[in-house]
Amino acid sequence: MEAAALALRDRLALDLQRWVGRLTAPVWIPVTVALMKCGVRWQIEGMEQTRRLFRQAKQASDAPLLVCANHLTMADSFLVSLSLASPWSLTVHYSWLPWNTPEKHRFASTWWKRMFAYLMKCIPVERGGNRQEVGRTLARVAHLLLQRDVALIFPEGGRSRTGRVDTEAVTYGVGRIVRQLPGCRVLAVYLRGEGQTEYTNLPARGERFRVEAELFEPKSDHRGLRGSVDLGRQILMRLDAMERRFFDARK
Amino acid sequence: MTQDEVFEQVVKILTPHVKNQAALDSIAPETNILDDLKVNSARLVDVVLAFEDDFNIEIPDEDVDGVNTVGDCVRLVLEKLQSS
Repeated sequence: MEAAALALRDRLALDLQRWVGRLTAPVWIPVTVALMKCGVRWQIEGMEQTRRLFRQAKQASDAPLLVCANHLTMADSFLVSLSLASPWSLTVHYSWLPWNTPEKHRFASTWWKRMFAYLMKCIPVERGGNRQEVGRTLARVAHLLLQRDVALIFPEGGRSRTGRVDTEAVTYGVGRIVRQLPGCRVLAVYLRGEGQTEYTNLPARGERFRVEAELFEPKSDHRGLRGSVDLGRQILMRLDAMERRFFDARK
Repeated sequence: MTQDEVFEQVVKILTPHVKNQAALDSIAPETNILDDLKVNSARLVDVVLAFEDDFNIEIPDEDVDGVNTVGDCVRLVLEKLQSS
């Protein structure tokens, strides 16, 4: 199975979004990071290992690289992005900043949220919306990965309602992307604030996060939809194992 | 299998996932699975996998994109049964 060709209009729209983001990145990336460090005072531990693994993965091969992470707060895509590379690296190697697919309605209310989402390489998706539109979004992500861009997907499809990686919440979209792209590697990223017991809109001020990453290449003998679900489940199980280690280390 | 038999089996498979049970009383080919029956979009995958098992067919990912109504499911299953 290969990635479906993307319509010219979609390709041009993504190219434009990439260029606008790239041109403005020297402004908005440092400002956002400064707000994180000085405003809300979030700190992330374990970034060195994650950044090293990500850098090695990018430099070792041109094969598609999909980042999959657990999801507890609306700041996760930003925090995971920052865990992958330094603000400077993300600005210089703009393709390293992952595209992500947030819920459309979260960013539709105000112009500045839409603008921020646009610059942050978001491809909004309507969860539970028209299946063809969802399929189109997945095709965009697959197209970007083939262009050597990086994408971030939350395999649970949304913030975990249980506060833990919900292995029952597997969606087929992430597996579908992996299955479409031969040789696609997955960087599983587990990130959690020490005080984060359940899902919230934003982490607490002064929160200390711990991040860990593992690189692997999921494979499935199943075909069709079953293969996509199997791949999605493998990714979630990997995140689940990382979560167990996170909590075991705190016993 | 006839269209009616497939329809009946499709409804049977959908039923455990339906949140709006009242909508089952008036279920028809044009009934929207997500909007009318309020089936969770993530559970739509389980529904389609159950189609594969119960009808012994294989459904590619792309075909799931075209599934919006009960009638879409029936058409998809009949199409796969004919081609298998």
